[in-house]
Amino acid sequence: MNFDAVGAAAAEALTLASFIGIGGGVLLGYVVGVIPGLSRSVAISIAIPLTFYMSPYIAISFLIGLSKGTAAGSAVSAILLNAPGEASSAATALDGYPMAKQGKPKTALQIGLIASVLGDIMATIILIFVAIPFARVALLFGPYEMAAILMFALVFIAGLSGGSLFKGLAAGGLGIFLGTIGLDNQTGLPRLTFGYTELMDGLPLIAVAIGTLALSEMFVQSERLRYDRANMAVTLEHRPDDRITWPIMRRILPTIFRGTGVGTFVGALPGLGPSVGSFMSYGMAQRAAKEPERFGKGEPKGIAASESADNAVIPAALIPLFGLGIPGNVSAALLIGAFAIHGITVGPLLLRDNPELLYSIFAGMILASLIMLALGWFGLMVFAQITRVPPHVVIPIVVFFCLAGMMLQGYGTFGLVILLGFAILGYLMKKYDYSFVTFLVAFIITPMLELNLRQSIILSRGNWAILLDRPIALFFIACTVVALVMLAWRSIRTGKPPAGAPAD
Amino acid sequence: MHRRTLLTAAAIMALATPALAEWQPKRPMTMIIGFAAGGSTDIQGRVLARVLEEHFGQPVNVVNQPGGGGAVALTRFMNAEPDGHTFMFGVQLGLTFSPIVTQTEYDIDDFRYAGTLVGGQFGVVARGDAPYQSFEELVAYGQDNPMTYAQQLPMDETIMRLIADEEGIDLAIVPTGGGGGMAPLLLGGEVDFAFSGGTHAQYTPTGEMNVLAFLTRDRSPFYPDVPTLVELGYPYAMDDFRSFFLPGGTPDEIVQAFEDAARFAVEHPQFVEVTVDNTLHPIVFMDAEETEATIREIRAANEELMAN
Repeated sequence: MNFDAVGAAAAEALTLASFIGIGGGVLLGYVVGVIPGLSRSVAISIAIPLTFYMSPYIAISFLIGLSKGTAAGSAVSAILLNAPGEASSAATALDGYPMAKQGKPKTALQIGLIASVLGDIMATIILIFVAIPFARVALLFGPYEMAAILMFALVFIAGLSGGSLFKGLAAGGLGIFLGTIGLDNQTGLPRLTFGYTELMDGLPLIAVAIGTLALSEMFVQSERLRYDRANMAVTLEHRPDDRITWPIMRRILPTIFRGTGVGTFVGALPGLGPSVGSFMSYGMAQRAAKEPERFGKGEPKGIAASESADNAVIPAALIPLFGLGIPGNVSAALLIGAFAIHGITVGPLLLRDNPELLYSIFAGMILASLIMLALGWFGLMVFAQITRVPPHVVIPIVVFFCLAGMMLQGYGTFGLVILLGFAILGYLMKKYDYSFVTFLVAFIITPMLELNLRQSIILSRGNWAILLDRPIALFFIACTVVALVMLAWRSIRTGKPPAGAPAD
Repeated sequence: MHRRTLLTAAAIMALATPALAEWQPKRPMTMIIGFAAGGSTDIQGRVLARVLEEHFGQPVNVVNQPGGGGAVALTRFMNAEPDGHTFMFGVQLGLTFSPIVTQTEYDIDDFRYAGTLVGGQFGVVARGDAPYQSFEELVAYGQDNPMTYAQQLPMDETIMRLIADEEGIDLAIVPTGGGGGMAPLLLGGEVDFAFSGGTHAQYTPTGEMNVLAFLTRDRSPFYPDVPTLVELGYPYAMDDFRSFFLPGGTPDEIVQAFEDAARFAVEHPQFVEVTVDNTLHPIVFMDAEETEATIREIRAANEELMAN
């Protein structure tokens, strides 16, 4: 490591302009994250033109700060409203919302924030010191490995959710089915589009996610407002014990470390993304816990697992980007564009040709995490006041943001129809206890799984023996089989969902 | 390309300019881009919008309408007011390819074409350390070894299938699902060679990738030594350009004004910089007439190819 460059980088990172730029990015991201209906990739694409007038270092740090802010902010609406601002915070709502209803909204928010910031900083440090020289390891994960990991993720995450095995299969099957809509990625021929040009790229993920997660929750809460008023709002009293304490901190720290590890692994593999990361981490925390039945009922570890992984994915997605020039997810792909605008080609050349810029960006990323901690700490005092606003005021506002967000993203009336359709689907799933989590994860994973599976089958030319040269793929296939058998065995034996499955 | 362009440009200038009054926009304009923000079309488009503001003296707002490789935007754009205030900066694939494989509501006749600014650079790439450094060597290698190829569009798949049949290569073809998917497959050694729509530009300087041949009709100005498939004796080409589209029924004077705007932009240092240096595409200018002729030519060629 070149220490002159590091010194110069640190100096640039600590100017007033960079504080304002990065702080603005984090703040903007935090607000976007809180608002259901506005998503991270949209925020980045809208903000890219703003960066025309910034120096390359501030522009990139601004955008990365924005990404980090959305990941932390989305926990707020997940915890207080049960309406996650991003799909990747859906796992946070599973324990965050029950905890808030138990009269500890501030503790839940603080756990979420601390897990976010720690996950973020640790993943950034891994990115700086370990990952770039070893970015090539990601190339060991070819189509066979990716297909096996995706299958494992699908089965593992499906195993988390409540309801009977058959309801789970139905929800997952529907997600897989809807995930196949769009152009076939080899022949380019449309599948199940019914002649609608808009469906050529498949059902828009943003509409599906916001509909099933946020808008449907508003339907549920409106119903509760009508029939079960007393038992709905999160009450915020000034309880002195409603804050994070050292014993809680000590309990969740190992979970945060594990979550960061899971998030970094998932983020470093191109294509998997934060939703897979946060649910995998949640599932692993539940498996590892001594009392797994407490998950879904306000377990602090649940919040910590989901949020730390969600945030760790963001710096980790930059590992293949900086190391190999391959974007790890949609936001990272947008960053390539932002770099290009500033005349920089992202990839292995960046470290060789422009080390100062790279180190400045790293310094900026750490700075962004610290600013996020400060902003989030004050922010949660403000946002916690949302709980004082009566639900008949909050619900229409959230519905408005969901609809306006779709329009803003250029999907037009078509997007609104899809959004509403999936809100109704999500409402029915919640009402009849079909897992919307299984549905959504299956929907997100299917296109990637299909592509990697098809690649594997074609490349192997139908020869199974090729797997013997692929130990990583074999390992994940074995894990998938074990997870399937355990899931089936448990459901058949008890006739009940696996222990600790969330109630709704 | 440039010689032809200059000649036609001169002819149009001589004939058309005195006859038509210069059209001017009266209010802010909207530029539609058929891709999500952050892609190369979007980046070029956003800089282009600022150059056009300078040229037309009116603000130009960029609206992204992603989906179906530009097909969604074209479907909506078809019914826009033909008054020049709403226009599209787009790739031609939505016109030269999409209508062949799927039923689109629009077709070539539903639009007017007002000039081309940017060229494509579709090529065939291999790893820098592969045992073949040229397309001839690849073919020779493939005659003794089974090979794998990563495709992006049905057209390049068909071209490679035809060449493989002709040369007796045992070729397996995998989908990549878009530009970003190619690099890990190729660099990870999963496939032997691949289609590249432009991704290669960031890997050729380090020697990680080699362009073996271009699928385009002309050589790329960035790789003057790399031949095209046609030069190598395979009569197949696949091309794409980025042009101004206007709704059908737009009057000639407005088409003329956009052609002039395109001519202004391809000379503007800011647009040239973002296109050539930052997004690594060649600047290619064509006037309105040549743009439309090219689109029809490429469409016919693609139809012939896809009939195979």
